[in-house]
Amino acid sequence: MAEHEQGSGARDPAPHGSAPGDPTADAWYFAVRLGEGRYAFDAPLVTEVVRLGPLTRLPAAPPFLPGVFTHRGEILPVLDLGELLLRRGTELEPGARAAVVQAGPWRVAVVADEIEGLLSVPRRRLEQPPPGHGASEFLRAVAVDGAEDLAILDMVRLVAAARARSVPS
Amino acid sequence: MSADRQLLLFQVGARVFAAPAKDVRRVGGSLLEHPDDGVPDTALGRPWEARRGLVVDPGDGSERTVLVDGVLGLRAVAAVQALPAFAREVMATQALCGFALIDEVPTLVVDLPALVRERQRGPSAAGREERNDHG
Repeated sequence: MAEHEQGSGARDPAPHGSAPGDPTADAWYFAVRLGEGRYAFDAPLVTEVVRLGPLTRLPAAPPFLPGVFTHRGEILPVLDLGELLLRRGTELEPGARAAVVQAGPWRVAVVADEIEGLLSVPRRRLEQPPPGHGASEFLRAVAVDGAEDLAILDMVRLVAAARARSVPS
Repeated sequence: MSADRQLLLFQVGARVFAAPAKDVRRVGGSLLEHPDDGVPDTALGRPWEARRGLVVDPGDGSERTVLVDGVLGLRAVAAVQALPAFAREVMATQALCGFALIDEVPTLVVDLPALVRERQRGPSAAGREERNDHG
């Protein structure tokens, strides 16, 4: 899966999830649901979708890192998108799904209220994010997919910001 | 990391942790000969009853006792896996050195001397120092 530069295209509505070399292709994203909102990020960042195993809680961890779990011998940190974007922790049921994301140098398992999956968005529907959106700091674009708005996140920037927020000054 | 394969399991509150056995000079009770040497409150949390103590050398030749709720015994493990990079970066303690799979459950492996030093200095300072050490 492709790796992206940190913070690339933070305010650029260009469809980074589109097939490389094909300017007419739709943009491909990976969609999740948080409360009433629908969010998506570049599909190539997602390496797989897995079910959460038993979670090991970490002492002295920030709220957006509810724990780690083992997947095929690899220990993956869980990133709670709801806590990060909305300051509202996701209720993690046993066997809940998570999207394993390679966001720059960081590999994390992203959880949300609902993991939807891949979707394509015609690039003509991508627009600049409106000011004042709750997650505007991390929005790259908004799109209308069916009847609902879709907020396109810069996941690499979001994960980097979470990390920066937690590093002691 | 894979050098420290003999682990001492202990409990703080409801959580089970492990530490390299070589880091523990001895296991004591809660009655300390020198109460000031006790470390009751660390990044692992505050023990409920503090019935046992793990005596460690924080690196300066002295002895400090990390108070815990119980000691569960020794286990040999095949390997200790490093913390995921993202978790290592965002946690407020740098005294967790990895995980060991014990009965299929990832169990946190604690660097007890680092935990004591961190408690003495404050976790933020310890985190900064650790990150600076690694460039």
